[in-house]
Amino acid sequence: MLQGLKVTTKRSIMTQTEQAGKKPAAKKPVAKKTVAAKAKAAPTVTAAPAPAPKPAGKPAGKKKSGLAFPFTAIVGQEEMKLSLILNIIDPRIGGVLVMGHRGTGKSTTVRALAEVLPLIDRVQGDTYNRTVEEFVEGEELKKGQKALDPASLKIEKIPVPVVDLPLGATEDRVCGTIDIEQALTSGVKAFEPGLLAQANRGFLYIDEVNLLDDHLVDVLLDVAASGKNVVEREGISIRHPARFVLVGSGNPEEGELRPQLLDRFGLHARIITILDVAKRVDIVKRRREFDEDPDAFMKKYNREQLKLQKKIQTAKDLLPQVTMDDTVLTDIARLCMNLGIDGHRGELTITRTAHAHAAFLGQTVVTMKHVKDIAGLCLRHRLRKDPLETLDAGEKIDRELAKVLGEAEAV
Amino acid sequence: MIAFTDIVGMDLAKQALMLLAVDSELGGVVIPSAVGSGKSTLARAFADILPEGTPFVELPLNVTEDRLIGGVDLEATLASGVRVVQHGVLSKAHGGVLYVDSLSLLDSSAVSHIMDAISRGEVLVEREGLSEVHPAKFMLVGTYDPTDGEVRMGLLDRIGIIVPFTANNDYRARKKIVSTVLGERDPEDTRDELKMLSGIIQAAKEQLHHVSITKEQMQALVQTALSLGVEGNRADIFTVRAALASAALAQRTDVEEEDMKLAIKLVLIPRATRMPEREQEAEDLPPQEEPPPDEEPEAEDEEAPADTPDADAEEEQEEKPDMLEELMMDAIETELPDNILNISLASKKKAKSGSRGEALNNKRGRFVRAQPGEMRSGKVALIPTLISAAPWQETRKNDKKMAGRPKTALIITKDDVKIKRFRDKSGTLFIFMVDASGSMALNRMRQAKGAVASLLQNAYVHRDQVALISFRGKQAQVLLPPSQSVDRAKRELDVLPTGGGTPLASALFLGWETAKQARTKGITQIMFVMITDGRGNMGLQAAYDPNAEKASKEQIEQEVESLSLSIQADGIAAIVIDTQMNYLSRGEAPKLAQKLGGRYFYLPNAKADQIVEAALSF
Repeated sequence: MLQGLKVTTKRSIMTQTEQAGKKPAAKKPVAKKTVAAKAKAAPTVTAAPAPAPKPAGKPAGKKKSGLAFPFTAIVGQEEMKLSLILNIIDPRIGGVLVMGHRGTGKSTTVRALAEVLPLIDRVQGDTYNRTVEEFVEGEELKKGQKALDPASLKIEKIPVPVVDLPLGATEDRVCGTIDIEQALTSGVKAFEPGLLAQANRGFLYIDEVNLLDDHLVDVLLDVAASGKNVVEREGISIRHPARFVLVGSGNPEEGELRPQLLDRFGLHARIITILDVAKRVDIVKRRREFDEDPDAFMKKYNREQLKLQKKIQTAKDLLPQVTMDDTVLTDIARLCMNLGIDGHRGELTITRTAHAHAAFLGQTVVTMKHVKDIAGLCLRHRLRKDPLETLDAGEKIDRELAKVLGEAEAV
Repeated sequence: MIAFTDIVGMDLAKQALMLLAVDSELGGVVIPSAVGSGKSTLARAFADILPEGTPFVELPLNVTEDRLIGGVDLEATLASGVRVVQHGVLSKAHGGVLYVDSLSLLDSSAVSHIMDAISRGEVLVEREGLSEVHPAKFMLVGTYDPTDGEVRMGLLDRIGIIVPFTANNDYRARKKIVSTVLGERDPEDTRDELKMLSGIIQAAKEQLHHVSITKEQMQALVQTALSLGVEGNRADIFTVRAALASAALAQRTDVEEEDMKLAIKLVLIPRATRMPEREQEAEDLPPQEEPPPDEEPEAEDEEAPADTPDADAEEEQEEKPDMLEELMMDAIETELPDNILNISLASKKKAKSGSRGEALNNKRGRFVRAQPGEMRSGKVALIPTLISAAPWQETRKNDKKMAGRPKTALIITKDDVKIKRFRDKSGTLFIFMVDASGSMALNRMRQAKGAVASLLQNAYVHRDQVALISFRGKQAQVLLPPSQSVDRAKRELDVLPTGGGTPLASALFLGWETAKQARTKGITQIMFVMITDGRGNMGLQAAYDPNAEKASKEQIEQEVESLSLSIQADGIAAIVIDTQMNYLSRGEAPKLAQKLGGRYFYLPNAKADQIVEAALSF
């Protein structure tokens, strides 16, 4: 899709977050100064004829200058949309890899996600977006101090963060590094959290993920496996939680994805060009309408956006009550076994995804129907590759599914 | 500097640029054209018809990531002691034009960054401690010579207009170009013409808001895109925009036929992946046939209700006169070049054998960025090291721990050290040349397919790339330019026809050209993997001249020989895999291997894995 968004002054979610974080909550070690506070002291200067002079500053904050196309206005591509929604409902599913044709709205859809995300709790101003428990634990560890009373902490609600990792990012910005401004102005070695910190408990999005530099892939694999980011540099040692839903998109024709990284993604959504004329005309119309007047367009979809947001939140609340019969689990195991899938990540992903799917449909019992809907998403990238195989992954999964279902019915 | 209005010929390219001047949301114009056609002159003259003061930034091919995206300004940082941000080329082009000459030679990481900037309209700078967003909404104007190689599809897809390739320039037009260069024109005429044109464009920009397009017209455009097999939705959006801009230029309020034809010519046809089906075929073409063979059937299932046009839409389509679509099809038929399906426009060049023995480019790829590292683990990147040390000087000088150190101008610690990182091109390019002639063809194809696919499976780890050339009939053909994509290789092989003569020399020549192109992009290790019986029976001449006399056996042998020597002299490794049954073989394949200075493998009924093993073991 066309991405020519008009520059407007709408504040992004992250900005609100940082605004809210102006006042440090508890007594804070220097390394934890909030971004907003730092921005005041930061002496970064913008040289060169900048089209729009920027106030000094850092980060996290002023991401995004345009309005994102509304999620609910995106035509078709249900598979991708469903994958993303299920990951919001249960982040443990492990992310989505969206691969497919060029110009089919992959990145538009992911960037639209921010608007329908629910809220999470964090200690006010915590740049690592930690839960209260994590915060308490982390701070005590650091200071050697005891008894940080959770009740004394101010809690705030922020929308689930969506962080964009651009291909040209350097390692220090991804992992975080020493804050030079701090060092210069106050002579203190302070840690400046990177994108991984911002993405904690949220989404980390990489467009053209198959083109990402190898050393960044290594970093991501490392952090994704441990859920922690560790930085040792210039006499500072930082360790903070970095659990995020990894979302990647790309076009397979541009290059292959490294197998280890492929394995990290819980779901794999495939995108193909829509072949229905009426739908495509509709896409062109909506896009034009949006480009003409983004605000009016957003308003038009406001109700649907809110409705979806609520539906997701309801599903999230319902999720703990969703149950699954052992027979369904057996069928899932049999399916994975018949397909020759290594390890148990396949079963685990199907189970979690099926739960989330049931919750999204407002149901509390997982059936094989739910499994059937999402099995392709969960398994497609886990099948062993056989270069001479002509049957493609989806067909194979469907065939085995039918077998398992047939058996199940016979029993 | 030659003015826009003084340039003769290239009318379509001019029209394209005017449309872009009217609607910058078209994203850009790409002009593929032969050397010396004046394409870069035209592109630079584009500034003439834009409002005064519009930025026009030319991107140097050797641009570093730093300069492209932006980063720390060393001079200013050292001078002031605080970090100073320098905007990159992409953000300097904001609100104006980014011009790239020789677009196809641009480094692939630079291409990725440009793609990213286009799709966001801004640049995210997340480097060297900086985290900023710089606006970067620009029109991309790119020119390139297709014989240098192709531009990445991902980038082309994001650019609205691609001017159809014109190889032969009209001789008279060129003569006029020359006379313009010599200054035969009255500068006053030029000035007035430019003024008029600028006025027309300004008026069209205002008119653009008042132009409307009917639903039927949109449907016709989309239908055309569908029948040409255009991928994705961007092209639909661009076509509609181009048609509107064209109508605006003509000061109309409605889109007319000619606008749509122009839009199809400039937006859809260059993106075509197949010939349109003729009417009735087109109509009852089942949607299942449309997606490429490797698509998920499951995805289709889900999309099924969408793919079969629902009853409403169908009725609607039948109701309205088929006139429009008929018309569109006519427009296409007259515009489609013969080789529309042969996406590679490249390599129709004559052979030159003089360039042998040129020193190999032994740089290990191109320096792209610096990253923290141990002093001895690589080449130290001096400037980035200084940049990271600079802001600390004040603090360190006051640091007691540093007291004992000699008074140097700069205090650099090991944390500052940055190591140079090169774009890793150390992998090998395997150029598969598969003999698709004669009766063994089907069998060989299957083996080649398997071998290519398994090589690609490992490609990511080894950073290898694969190109695919098939030869049959009169000439060889690049099926897949150097790539790491399994999907594409498979797809290309799936549809490959077989049978006919064996144009071995043509294959060698094409392989050599491909190798040379790869060299310019920093790939140094290249290997030919030839799957053939080595019995060429077509002359090189036949590939380019349909009326050429049939070459004699000696002639063919000589061609193969001299090409082989050149290839060998260029340091290209080769293996020849013979799949011919033993009793039929007359020893041609071993001879070919010898000429190429490569190795010969005799693998009748070779399994894919064996071919891969042979290639990797070498």
